[in-house]
Amino acid sequence: MTRILLVEDNEMNRDMLSRRLERKGYEVILAVDGPNGVDVARAGLPDLILMDMSLPLLDGWEATRVLKAGQETRRIPVIALTAHAMSGDRDKALEAGCDDYDTKPVDLPRLLAKIEVLLGATTHIGDSK
Amino acid sequence: MPKPKAFVEDIETYAQDIVDTVREPLLMLDTTLRVRSANRAFYQTFKVSPVETENRLIYELGNGQWDIPALRTLLDDVVPKSLVFNDFELEHTFPVIGRRVMLLNARKLRAGSHAELLVLAMEDVTERRRSEADLKAIDMYAQNIVDTLREPLLTLDTTLRVHSANRAFYQTFKVSPQETENRLVYELGNGQWDIPDLRTLLEDIVPKSSVFSDFELEHDFPAIGRRVMLLNARKLQAGHHGELLVLAMEDVTERRRVEEAVAKAKEAAETANKTKSLFLANMSHELRTPLNAILGYSEMLQEEAAERSLDVFAADLARISSAGKHLLALINDILDLSKIEAGKMDLFLENFDVGRMIDEIASNVQPMVEKNSNTLQITHAHDLGEMHADQIKVRQAVSNLLTNAVKFTHEGHVTLDVWREEADGREWIVFQVSDTGIGLSAEQVIKLFKDFTQADASTTRKFGGTGLGLALTRRFCQMMGGDVTVKSVPDEGSIFSIKLPATVSDPTPEPGPGATGALAAVETEHVDCTDPIPDGASCVLVIDDDAAQREFLARFLSKDGFYVRTASGGEAGLRLARLLRPLVITLDVMMPEMDGWTVLSALTADEDLRDIPVIMLTMVDDPSRGFSLGAADYATKPVNRKRLTQILKKYTDKSSSVLIVEDDPTTRNVTRSILEKEGWKVTEAVNGALALESLQRERPALVLLDLMMPEMDGFALADLLHLHPEWQSIPLVVVTDKDLTIGERRRLSGYVQTVLHKGSSREASLARVRDFVVACSDRAKRNGRTN
Repeated sequence: MTRILLVEDNEMNRDMLSRRLERKGYEVILAVDGPNGVDVARAGLPDLILMDMSLPLLDGWEATRVLKAGQETRRIPVIALTAHAMSGDRDKALEAGCDDYDTKPVDLPRLLAKIEVLLGATTHIGDSK
Repeated sequence: MPKPKAFVEDIETYAQDIVDTVREPLLMLDTTLRVRSANRAFYQTFKVSPVETENRLIYELGNGQWDIPALRTLLDDVVPKSLVFNDFELEHTFPVIGRRVMLLNARKLRAGSHAELLVLAMEDVTERRRSEADLKAIDMYAQNIVDTLREPLLTLDTTLRVHSANRAFYQTFKVSPQETENRLVYELGNGQWDIPDLRTLLEDIVPKSSVFSDFELEHDFPAIGRRVMLLNARKLQAGHHGELLVLAMEDVTERRRVEEAVAKAKEAAETANKTKSLFLANMSHELRTPLNAILGYSEMLQEEAAERSLDVFAADLARISSAGKHLLALINDILDLSKIEAGKMDLFLENFDVGRMIDEIASNVQPMVEKNSNTLQITHAHDLGEMHADQIKVRQAVSNLLTNAVKFTHEGHVTLDVWREEADGREWIVFQVSDTGIGLSAEQVIKLFKDFTQADASTTRKFGGTGLGLALTRRFCQMMGGDVTVKSVPDEGSIFSIKLPATVSDPTPEPGPGATGALAAVETEHVDCTDPIPDGASCVLVIDDDAAQREFLARFLSKDGFYVRTASGGEAGLRLARLLRPLVITLDVMMPEMDGWTVLSALTADEDLRDIPVIMLTMVDDPSRGFSLGAADYATKPVNRKRLTQILKKYTDKSSSVLIVEDDPTTRNVTRSILEKEGWKVTEAVNGALALESLQRERPALVLLDLMMPEMDGFALADLLHLHPEWQSIPLVVVTDKDLTIGERRRLSGYVQTVLHKGSSREASLARVRDFVVACSDRAKRNGRTN
């Protein structure tokens, strides 16, 4: 089963998004802040990470940078989630190594499309190896 | 007497000649009041001949026109009793010459052989009397006007004595004319007008000009209390009065009070509005969080209802969801608007492809087009190319026009035309949206762009929407140097046009309310304070006199998640440092007013700031060569324990070692013992060459470097350290015998330059700056320090 790591500090957002993703057939693992996200990603090696950008302790940009620097976690696609629809945020996310970007509140069909594109791309690379 | 007769005749002729030359009419009367003779002026004036005149009784002259009761009184009563009378005024209507005022003067003469004669001279003063009367009337008229004025007026002569005052003056200042006229102005009302400002005005200003206006005088007058008077003056040439100064006083106390109250009210209103906007901005954010949950869960329930075919619930859930989305749109618009009003809306300028953006907007709006059975036609040139603007705001503005057009049009036609044009010497992109919808009346157009206004209130109910969209569209366009315009005919449709510069220039940042204090303190030097720094975020202060370098460093560091503030000079930098307590300061070595070393000394001397790590930077002539790290800090000898531990705490932690490079054994030992007592690991080297060997064995976290050493001095070692890729990021703390001299500073700065000329690329040097900032920030985070 495809495993998605959701890093989100807001409990309700975490609950909603995880349940909706589970209903779509994904396995969802959770983390509640930046360092926790990094740890869970390293331990669980998910297929994709949904990363909230405003996280406590270590923000989403920093956490992404750490993951993208790690040997094992580097290949995992990261979708940045941010509450602010500012182009500066999008640039910052892409700069930090995020593979895509979406705004909160989540538009589920749009997010699912993005997830599928990224999963397809990694599978494809994996197949060609 | 040989020829007495001829002599007498001669004299008589002579006298007659004189008499005839006089322009006043003259009559010679004998004692019986018969005319002995008259002069030419008499005949001419009264249009009579000598035949009609001589030897006649005066009262019979000219058909009795001289038979005047007043003249009879004069001649019958006054004249016999005296030899002379003067200025007897006679007013009479003469048949030939009309009504006249005559001034009569008379003399009794003994005229030789003639008996006693009375010479009657007549002066026609009719004109003079009339002029005098006119003048009096004018005087009265003027005085009446002056007295009617409600402004107190004073007329002063050149010695500043009061010539006159008007009624308003007497009433206002509760004084009488007797106390006022002919007094020196300063003496009036027990000296209440002896005001220094007035003295200045009257003695310095007035003599130099004939007019002055609106001289404001504030004074505590005994009779009327504290007043603000507006003085206006004119110099007049007042005939025989000489030069006069008219001083008009307007009591503007009340007006000033009202103006002040208005200014205060305006200020209060502006503050309130800003507070309101800030509150809204914060509140909107708070509102969005629970709303997102409502939206999310209602969507989840909808999905679940669909899966389980619970159609009964589906419709209600859809209503919750749609109401929630409407509420969210409202909140987002309010948030944007309040951000603009609070001066917190920033522009993120980037290059983007206009055609691609239009395609995306069109595909978003397509479902709505179909819903209202409209057709949408988009025309634009294929070579529209890129524009440099805030893409999100352009997109929002154009989407808004298109959404409105589609929303207010049913079974109609909507077009979007986009083109590039040149006007006012620059290139513009125009987005024009036309529809065949309900259109707008002139009144509706006026209200259209106002906040919270739709064409009419029922529109909201009928069509939905926040009523903020067009207001926001206009604000966004104006922020980018463009605007939005509308042409509309009711029931026929509307044409909305957005015109934006193809290349939007960066606006001068409007300071946020939180920054006003800092800005006020450093007006002369540029500081940058835009978005607020969130609690716990890392802030880096860049002090550099070069705007391009500031901007470049700021952009570079903010990419790493640092909030960057900049200052253009030492003064501003120090103030900002106190205000912001940044995590790290980058400091340009060469600045015109206060050089980097001076700023560093000031930072070190300030108890609150001395713990902030400072990176000394300098820029070489060729900007592509970038920056280099100079010495990180410096300390003076004898080394002070407190200062040393402060420096070390800033740059390293106790797990790593410190290299002391020092030739003097005493200093070396003292420093070592201080450091070891504080728990640091210490290695030593007595000169530059040995320091290099030590560096090769172990990379220290920091180097304490004596500048004056034999063999290889501190400067040379610094040079080498900075050339070595592995060592160049080691903080270098210079230890000197005294405060750095100008020569040493120059040498250290110069050394930085030398390194750079030999040195690395811009990217590499920038990376070092970033590494250093990141290291400082990490250390601060570990130490639990936030700013």
